[in-house]
Amino acid sequence: MTQYLFRRLISIPLLLLGVATVAFFLSHFTQADPLSALVSERQMNNPEVVAAAKQRWGLDRSLPEQYLIYIQNLVSGDMGVSFRTRRPVLTDIAERLPATLELVIFAMLFGTISGVALGVLASRFQNRLLDYFARLVALFGSTVPVFWSGLLLLYLFTVKFSWIPGPGRLDPRADPPPFMTGLLTIDSLAAGQFDTFLNALHHLVLPSFVLGWSVTGIIARLVRASMLDALGQDYILAARAKGAGEARTLFRHALPNAMIPTLTIIGYSFAYLITGAVLTEAVFGWPGIGSYAVDSARTLDYPAIIGVSLIGASAFLLANLITDIAYAYANPRIRLE
Amino acid sequence: MQLTNNETRRASIRRRAVLAAAATVLTSFAAFPTLGLAADSGRPLVVARDMDLNSLDPARAFCDTCQIYLSSVYDRLVDLSPDNKSIVPMLAKEWSASDDSTVITFKLDPNAKFSDGSQVEAKDVKWTLERLKNIKGGIAYILDNVQSIETPDEATVVVTLTAPNSEFVGSLTAPYAGIINSDVVAEQGGNAGADAATTDTAEQWLLANSAGAGPFVLESYSPSQELRLKRNENYWGKKPAVAEFIFLQSKDAVSQTQLLESGSADIAMQVDPTTAKNITNEDIIVETQPSPNMVYIALSPGAKNLAHPLDAKVREAIASAIDYDGIIDLTVDGKAIRLPAPIPVGFPGGGVGEPIKYDVEKAKALMAEAGAADGFKLDATFPNVNQYGVDYTLMMQKIQQDLAEINIELELAPVEFSVWREKVNGDGIPMTAVFFAPDYYGSSQYAQYFAMMDGTVWYKRAGGAADPALANPETPKMLADALAAPSDKSAELFEKLAAVMANDHIILPILSPEAVFAFRKGISGLRFSACCNMVLADIKAE
Repeated sequence: MTQYLFRRLISIPLLLLGVATVAFFLSHFTQADPLSALVSERQMNNPEVVAAAKQRWGLDRSLPEQYLIYIQNLVSGDMGVSFRTRRPVLTDIAERLPATLELVIFAMLFGTISGVALGVLASRFQNRLLDYFARLVALFGSTVPVFWSGLLLLYLFTVKFSWIPGPGRLDPRADPPPFMTGLLTIDSLAAGQFDTFLNALHHLVLPSFVLGWSVTGIIARLVRASMLDALGQDYILAARAKGAGEARTLFRHALPNAMIPTLTIIGYSFAYLITGAVLTEAVFGWPGIGSYAVDSARTLDYPAIIGVSLIGASAFLLANLITDIAYAYANPRIRLE
Repeated sequence: MQLTNNETRRASIRRRAVLAAAATVLTSFAAFPTLGLAADSGRPLVVARDMDLNSLDPARAFCDTCQIYLSSVYDRLVDLSPDNKSIVPMLAKEWSASDDSTVITFKLDPNAKFSDGSQVEAKDVKWTLERLKNIKGGIAYILDNVQSIETPDEATVVVTLTAPNSEFVGSLTAPYAGIINSDVVAEQGGNAGADAATTDTAEQWLLANSAGAGPFVLESYSPSQELRLKRNENYWGKKPAVAEFIFLQSKDAVSQTQLLESGSADIAMQVDPTTAKNITNEDIIVETQPSPNMVYIALSPGAKNLAHPLDAKVREAIASAIDYDGIIDLTVDGKAIRLPAPIPVGFPGGGVGEPIKYDVEKAKALMAEAGAADGFKLDATFPNVNQYGVDYTLMMQKIQQDLAEINIELELAPVEFSVWREKVNGDGIPMTAVFFAPDYYGSSQYAQYFAMMDGTVWYKRAGGAADPALANPETPKMLADALAAPSDKSAELFEKLAAVMANDHIILPILSPEAVFAFRKGISGLRFSACCNMVLADIKAE
């Protein structure tokens, strides 16, 4: 196990270097004007101004030179300065990543709990009304586009009934907690700001429901299939023969075995949501890494695009690693070598 | 299987704990909506806005939100009065120009103080303007013909120009010309020298701090999230009524409306008229005011791969075949006016004469005269934006239908703004749509941007370098004469220049939209300023 972990950890920087290289060259080959956020339209006509901007932002150097400088800086922990925000990319990411993480954690909590519950119910009541209901919910969850469900729910619960606050992470007039983790729910609790905690929690309800619903669908279907498979096994028959009640049979014997394939999906979904929360962030005005990525891509902000690519790749690599480890713990027959 | 008493008790406790937790969460959610409701008196005012801020450094910023921020934090030498055409004192209590308008002397107000309490001195003005020029940022062009800036004493600034410019003082109403506390910013890496473009390092500091003499100071800034301004308690002029403004990033009209309706925001000014019509909440007021902004079509005869030359007759045919009023109704629900030339109404020489008529028969005749009666295909790449309430895709689809009447098949290609910039400044785009907002009160900026003469943005984009015949040889002289003339005569000369620009049919103004203000009851003083967009210091809240 230790050797396996060592090998995997060693490979991560190499993979990230590959991602940075691909992202660097792909973004530089795009037919768009990187000066659009740096030089006004009027000044584009002034060669002196254009030259000064290119020099300041290193765009006057050849592409291989720019690449080498970027990698050199990256190795020393410098992701460059964003053309659009004019701040270090690392600062921007550090400010925005917690917002996405908080959203994804709540979405995953909702998606996993509801997905597992629906999957178990569907398998227990196979081909009965509850099963059809669970499958319908799962189907909607995995097929309804986020921008549609998000806008609809926002209209209903925010505009129509005023039950849920508008877009954003926190009411603008609320007292933000001092920065600790960047996760507003945790920071506000740690600071004893219960009002702010409730405010942040309230803002999380709709976006995490909308984002988590897609995970609900996937997990529910997988758990249902795995549970049906597990419930047909001899050990379940043996447990029932020994007098185990229905709840014990389902939750102590069948579910732990059915959860093993689900772990992979949970790990993958977590990484996927970190990079794929773009639409949810857009609909709910969530200032996370997804909206940062979109804004950066639109203005061809090279340093930010590469920075976000690296964060996305890191999320996938770490999620895969954690999933593999969890898999090995959950199933003693699997050995990581 | 039977549970023991202990197990039963534990299960019961667990169930109660879960129910109690659920009840707490539900109760708190039910009680919550009161937290999100409208601003009470004394609370910060929240402005929902798609913030296009590219910098908070006056010398480097260029955007609509920059105008609001900079004009609130950095007082300029002169201001534009609410009538949107008179220049009034600000840091300069008075000024005078030499007879030939080449030497302008400003006398600073002795009461003027920066937010740290220090005196605004002539050296600050000199340093700011030289930094603005030498950093070569978005607005540096207004100082292109500045020969020297002298400071004979602490309260006097003398600017000498290389050529007469009656609009020079007006150009200093631009928020980007806000005066900076030079001692403070120089300490943070600010540099006004000739090499400032590469040696000035104050931008990072200015993203988190401000050093102006305006009614507000920067409290905090998170790009694309939030901008907070608080009242400058040391302000030397009339103190603003609102103690704090929070600008909240909100991408589009629908989100801004949701924020207003839910009480999370108090003001929005990017709600288009069509969306505004659907607001039913009685606590929200929607008002419109004239604006000098402009949405226009541009034709580039010099663009590569044209199926048919865009000669003068074809350009006039295209201009005549567009149903302008139909576009105004379709895109902004009639809340816009037409412009005869690319100079807005209210600016010197702007809004005079009749806009070109929608006349399909005339357009067909012109196409026949140009040997293009059978029509041709035309690339129409445009930025995929919604600017000033105009959905560009919708507008271009309407123009596509209009031009089909004269057999021109418009191939629409909506693209990101950065892609559009690459193309329009590269191979050129035969027909495109874009927008313009003035940097200050004055018409020379329009001539210097749109007129067909060497050095302007659209002369180059239209293909002037390859086809000098596009240039009107009289235009540079007309502009110089207009700038050298006294203001009453200057307007007349700009009017003639506007007519020349209109007759080129390179720039076809489609509409000048009204600015929409949507705000909660109890808020007043909202006004659109031609130099500064929204003036925060004038806003009041009950």
